[in-house]
Amino acid sequence: MSFLSPSYFLFFPITVLGYWALPQKARNGWLLGCSWFFYLCAGPRYFPLLIAVCAVSYVTALALEKRRRKGLLAGALCLFVGLLFLFKYLNFGVDTLSRLLALAGLDWTPMVPKLLLPAGISFYLFTAMGYLMDVYRGKVPAEKNGLKCALFLSFFPSLLSGPIGRAERLLPQFSRLHKFNYVNLREGLFRFLWGAFKKLVLADRLAVVVDTVFAAPQNYGAIQVVIAACAFSVQIYCDFSAYSDMAVGSAKVMGFELMENFRTPYFSKSIAEFWRRWHISLSTWFRDYLYIPLGGSRRGTVRKYVNVLIVFAVSGLWHGAALTFIVWGVLNGLYQVVSALTAPLRTRGRSVLPLREDGGIFALWQMGWVFLLSTVAWVFFEAGSVSGALAVLENMIKPVLWDVGGLAAMGMGKKEFLVAGVGFLVLLGVDAYSTKEDPARKVAYSPRWLRWCVYLALLLAAVIFGSYGSGYDAQSFIYGQF
Amino acid sequence: MATEVLIRPQVREGKGAKVSRREPLWCLAFLLVAAVLLHLCGAILRPAHTDYGSTWQAYLAEPRDSIDVLFLGSSYAYCDWNPAVMYGESGLTGYVMGGSEQTPAITYWYLKEALRTQSPSVVVMEATSLFFDRYQNYTQINLGYMPWGMNRVRAILECAEPEKKLGLFWDLYFYHDRWKELELVDIKKAIFPSGADSLKGHTAVDQIFEQTADGPFLSEMRQSEEVYQQNLEDFARIARLCTDNDIDLIVTINPTYSQYVSQVYDRLAEDVLVTRNVRFVNWADSFAEMGLDPTVHLYDGGHLNQDGAKVFSAYTGQYLRSLGYEPRPQTGENRAAWEEAAKAWK
Repeated sequence: MSFLSPSYFLFFPITVLGYWALPQKARNGWLLGCSWFFYLCAGPRYFPLLIAVCAVSYVTALALEKRRRKGLLAGALCLFVGLLFLFKYLNFGVDTLSRLLALAGLDWTPMVPKLLLPAGISFYLFTAMGYLMDVYRGKVPAEKNGLKCALFLSFFPSLLSGPIGRAERLLPQFSRLHKFNYVNLREGLFRFLWGAFKKLVLADRLAVVVDTVFAAPQNYGAIQVVIAACAFSVQIYCDFSAYSDMAVGSAKVMGFELMENFRTPYFSKSIAEFWRRWHISLSTWFRDYLYIPLGGSRRGTVRKYVNVLIVFAVSGLWHGAALTFIVWGVLNGLYQVVSALTAPLRTRGRSVLPLREDGGIFALWQMGWVFLLSTVAWVFFEAGSVSGALAVLENMIKPVLWDVGGLAAMGMGKKEFLVAGVGFLVLLGVDAYSTKEDPARKVAYSPRWLRWCVYLALLLAAVIFGSYGSGYDAQSFIYGQF
Repeated sequence: MATEVLIRPQVREGKGAKVSRREPLWCLAFLLVAAVLLHLCGAILRPAHTDYGSTWQAYLAEPRDSIDVLFLGSSYAYCDWNPAVMYGESGLTGYVMGGSEQTPAITYWYLKEALRTQSPSVVVMEATSLFFDRYQNYTQINLGYMPWGMNRVRAILECAEPEKKLGLFWDLYFYHDRWKELELVDIKKAIFPSGADSLKGHTAVDQIFEQTADGPFLSEMRQSEEVYQQNLEDFARIARLCTDNDIDLIVTINPTYSQYVSQVYDRLAEDVLVTRNVRFVNWADSFAEMGLDPTVHLYDGGHLNQDGAKVFSAYTGQYLRSLGYEPRPQTGENRAAWEEAAKAWK
């Protein structure tokens, strides 16, 4: 069940009304039932897997609290990583291995069953693994109530595509008494509508250009290919942050606070900062449960850089079982390593130029670089293969700047580009505003007429200018496939 | 506890938690405004539909209980019958309330809806649709232009393809993308709906079919027995509805070169006449009897063109009068409108 499907528009009000109508004691049970129904709608086949993960997490956490046994934790983590490998990486792993063996002259092509990727598996397994490690470290107590533990791992707003929940933040919320809060409703509504606007008006519209140009970059001029690559940078931001907004908004209506997943990442002044502001729930997960256990920056500079590269390679692999994702991850890691290595040189260079470190122009220059570098990396993320990505990059620097086909040949007419442009300006404005104040909160406390205008404007913009309905190839959320 | 610190405190929770008694009313008002605006946008963005059947807006603009004859069916109905010509010939008022490739199931709901404002003496239904499949090509138009109400809702639930139901309940799903071609006239038509139409549901097509040398094209029944039986059940519902409303029902096969073999028509007649108070007329081959010339009066292999429709409609008017149907009294204004419409075709 997608957040933007008619069934969700039926499911969500019923869930919320039921939640508020029921006594506190029954609410968690209701939410768990609704969350599991939500998951069943995404595909009933792997529902038992979710139940099993909940059960294993619950029992293991209790056992770890009783006695901190490293072996038990390792066993549970191996089980979860094994599940992830089985469903997500088995084909890729076997394929890679057989290719390597082929290079050595050995022919090994085993039959590997094609398993359907269970919806949300990367997200709820990471939530479960984080929880167990937190219990092992004594950071959070093991949840004694099995229902709450299952709800923590299955909470429907974040179940399929995050934000990846943290026990210390989310679990206590299932024990708190939530009173109906009208401001939460207003904030949640804004977050949901803003997410719908970004997804339907921007992400899915830009997807047409991206898909068209990336399918045959050789048919377009360099500028057109660059436009498509930049469009993908905006598309993936709008797509994923839209999902997070809708998840946070849905939870907010019921009084739950989910972790913010994005903080205007393209306003970052370095790639390291970008990763502190992009997919925050995953970045912090890798920081806390992989980077720091690997030694972080405590074991010398070289080891720190190696750790960064490991984390980003794994992060790339988390996104998908393909070489392109690994290249994307490693590239982002390399950006950080190179950035750290060249920092003194760049500082010296800057001192020669008449640029103020805290000036607006310099900030724009830095943001431009971050956008450029991340766009180059996103090309690998979007392209179907490494050779496809290289073809896109190659076509960005060819002498033919503009193909005769013009904008229409890129899959969108002038009016479509105009809407995308206006939508982008709105996005820039709201993102810029959000660096100072939370727009959802601001709207929630605005006078009624202004609040209504904002809600209605977002609603009408999404339903009129959105890419959906007959004649469209409906785009699912990109992160839904991870 | 550390966990408590990490949770962002609910800013001004006290204020938000207190809900004034009027707040739920404001919520309802907001939902109402949103619904009205969405409906208005849908009405603006949905293209105007004034021909090729399903001309509900014009039908509803007809004076109440002013129609003597209601024609139902598919494109054979709206191409072949011109009510204005029939009026000129017989004084009987009529309206074609059919749709392209309209299935009998949809026709049932059309009749049910049509009878809310009119009480015809006789319903004339072109029967080719009894050989249609469960779903044909124009459900979006046929149901999408029906007036809102329970009949439309039930028709969508019962007759529409599953993938079309959402768009039929919510116009913007189908038509929101028309913002690119929006003109002032679209806004105008949403705010000021058009009135009665002199075509009375007829669509005049002016081409002449030229491949008539080999005579009619004969075909066997193509759809499955199961679908045919379902269509007959829907037809039985139509017949019951007519009986319940004291309306006669005449089932016709109109003059056409796209014919079925005689066994198919024989079986159809048998199946249709099982129902009480139904008259069946097969005019498929009655060109000469009506004064129709296939080389001049066919639009394509199946439908009559506008000249053919004139001849056939005049014949239908005479036929209905011969069966004893009499024109009902009309207001002076409506009579003048009909006479004006009839004059245009002379």
